[in-house]
Order: sequence, then C-alpha cells, then structure tokens
Amino acid sequence: MALPLPPGLTPSEVGFLCEMEQVTIIPRQRLDGLELLGGPTEPLRPPFPVPLPLWLALLLKKQKRADISPPTWLSVEVLTQILDFEMDERTAELFSPSQDLPAPTTTAPLDGDPYLAHDALELSPPFLKDAATSRAQKDALPYHWNELGHLLLTHAADNFVEPDMVRKLLRDLREVRMSKLRKGFKVLDAGAGTQLNNVGGMEIAEVRGFVVGVVDGLRRLNHSREESRKEREDEERENGIGSSSYRDDEDEDML
Amino acid sequence: MDDDIADILASVSAPALPVRTLDLQALTRAWVNERTAPELLPYPTDLVDRVMERIGKQISTIEEMSGTMDPQANFTLVILQTELERFKFLVRSFLRARIAKIDTYTLHYATLPSQLSPLERQYLQSHQSLISTHYSTSFLSTFPTSLQKLDDTAGGISMVDKPDEDAAVFCRVLRDTGNVEIQGISEVAEIEMKRGDVRVLRWSAVKEAVERGDVELI
Repeated sequence: MALPLPPGLTPSEVGFLCEMEQVTIIPRQRLDGLELLGGPTEPLRPPFPVPLPLWLALLLKKQKRADISPPTWLSVEVLTQILDFEMDERTAELFSPSQDLPAPTTTAPLDGDPYLAHDALELSPPFLKDAATSRAQKDALPYHWNELGHLLLTHAADNFVEPDMVRKLLRDLREVRMSKLRKGFKVLDAGAGTQLNNVGGMEIAEVRGFVVGVVDGLRRLNHSREESRKEREDEERENGIGSSSYRDDEDEDML
Repeated sequence: MDDDIADILASVSAPALPVRTLDLQALTRAWVNERTAPELLPYPTDLVDRVMERIGKQISTIEEMSGTMDPQANFTLVILQTELERFKFLVRSFLRARIAKIDTYTLHYATLPSQLSPLERQYLQSHQSLISTHYSTSFLSTFPTSLQKLDDTAGGISMVDKPDEDAAVFCRVLRDTGNVEIQGISEVAEIEMKRGDVRVLRWSAVKEAVERGDVELI
C-alpha cells in the first residue's frame, strides 16, 4: 500500500511529468473541443495547428489522427549551436542557458492561506507557457528537453526533417552535460548549497541518488564537528565578549 | 520604469488560467513535493476535495458515454479514460507517499495531527494499535515493566524516530526570497535565492519556503 520508493522522483515519474507539457499538433481529422479534467482543449479543425498536452498528442499520433510539429529548439541547427556552446572550453563549468523565465505573476501568500492556494501558485515546468510548442524560444533548452526529445523521436520520427541527426545530437548533448555534472561532484560538501542552474529533469533524476548520498554522508561525518562549533558560538553569544580567554590575555598584556 | 509598466501590463492582459488547470498544477506540485521531501507536508484539503469531486463527475460522464457506441464518441471516451487514469495515478501516488511516511514515523506523527487528513488520522490510530498489540504479544510482555514503553524519553534520548530534517533535497526557486542560511563545516553562510536557481540544499533550510510556495522541490 505504502510507496516503497526512496525520496525523489524516478526517471519514469519524470517522464510522466513531462507528458503534461504542451506541444503543437497539426490535426488530420476534426474533433470537438473536450472538457478534460485538466482544463478545456481547443477543437481540432484541420489543418490549423493546435496546442495540446503531450500525452494527448502522442495518443492522436499513434492513431494517425494528427501530426506533431517539432518544437523550435529540436532542430539540427539549434542543437548544433547549443552543443558547440557546451563543448567550448570557456563554459566548462556552466550549462547552456535554459529558456527565459517570465516575470513572476504571484506573490507570497498571506498568513492563513492554505498550502498550495491558487493565489500563491507560481507556474513552473511542465506548465510554463510555450516550452515545447512551435512558438517556443528558439535558442534554449527547456527543463524536460531530454524526455521530450526522446518521446517525440520515438513516436513521431516522420514529422522531423532529419531524425537521425537530431537523435545523434541529443545523445552528444546528453553525454557532454553528464560529464560536466560529474566533474561538478568535486565541489559537493556537507553544507549543500551547490548551484545547478539550467540543468534538465532527467539529468537530475540520474544524479540524485549519488548527490544526495554524498551530501548526507558528508553531513554525518562532520556532524560532531558542526555540533561543537554551534555550541561554542552559542556560549560566546550568551556569555558576552569577556568570557573568552583570548580577551583576558590581551588585557594582561596591556599592563 | 519600463520594467514596471511591462509587469503591470503582463498582469492585466494575461488571461487567467482556468481553475482546473491551476488545480492540476497544484496537484502535480503537491505530488512532487511529497515524493521528494523527507517530512510530511501539510495536507491540501481543499485541493484534494475539489479534485476528487471532479474525478467522480468524470467517472459518471464516462459511464454514461459508454452506453452509446458511436465511433466518434468512442474515441472521445478513450481520451477521457486516459486522462482519468493519469489523474488517478497522481492522487494515488501522492497518498501512497504520505502513507509511507506515516508508516515509518508513526509515533512522531501521532503528536502532529494537524498535518494529517481525518482519514489519515484514523489510519494512524489503527496502524499504531496494531503494531503495539503485535509487539506486546510477541515479545514486549516478557520484558521487565520499566522497559516496556515504546516512546521512552528517559536518558535524554527519545525512542521516537523523527524524520531526518537535514536531508539534502533538490529545489528550484520560484520567487526571489532573499537569503537562506546554510551550515558549512567551519562556518555558517548565507546565500541569496533568485528566481530560476536550482540548488541542492538541506531540507531544514528550505522547508518554510516550500510551504509558502516560494521554492519548489524537483
């Protein structure tokens, strides 16, 4: 009954999450707008493109009722450009910038608002507008780039201009970014706080087990040292400056 | 000045998302947060009630549609059923993650009933009584009376297991929240959290920000 998995999303759960991203499809058959649990969908009138969630787009594609239009960033030119950026020696510590975030539309909740009240709910992947549609930002990868690319190439390869080249570029990108992540393991420490901006969803799922294990392990090893430091700081704060022996020595020297 | 105008325009002109989509985003975030955090988060009662009501209505719609076997409606039925399964998976996984945490730290959450829903509290009571009955009949009754307590706090150390509050979690900053204190090996440092940062932090440092919605776990 209870979930036996350790904390953290598994790769299949990350894939489930990415299927909620919106993609643009070009319908081949008419279909009326539906009132889904997640919100209404637009009616399908071929040949006008329509944004739909990825799971629905894949269902329609499998039944040959629609074609999926690849996102703007999933093309040979853009991926080659991003790969060159990643492989450049000068960016050895950074990942290529991800898509620009819109300004936040909500503010912190007032006291008394329940957890996850709508007024304080800021949108985030996979619900950011236009992350993988044909109006997506053209020179940056969204959070779920790996999963989206993989799913679209598996199920809709005939909608791509050069699917083999795109597949190869995605694989190369993945290898370069994973090696950068692995090099970054050297700076992991018990205090945590490591910054990982612009990293992707599947990449985090892959390294999560290792990183969490390392940080927790280091924390346990340094636990006693931290405790004694905290105690020392609390004592100094409580007893005032005059309590530490360093000051006493200085006073004696003045005589 | 220009940024302010742009912000004002954006907030006025952007069409508000339908409540259902916001609920889906909230449910997804609740699921990811619960799956990632080491501790039990507050139970989002209103959200779960709304979602369960909608699921119930959708199930009855699907049952009505199953009556007619029109081929066009048949495909719509498939779409509705697929989406229903996805929603049910989200709700089930969310509840199962919570039950796993209740099971592991039963006695600890017995003292914090505000984080649990009424059904979860019932589950906690019966789980606790089953376990303690099982322990007493198996071996606890043979111990000397002074050693028979399951929540002994003598000796300065409590027997009750608490969830590890300093476990490392991956998080993404959604709103600029100012500084967060992190404990280094030799000093305490403060780091600033800007929108869009992805960091590995201790749970205790981000717990309040997650409950406020300024930071989400990934």
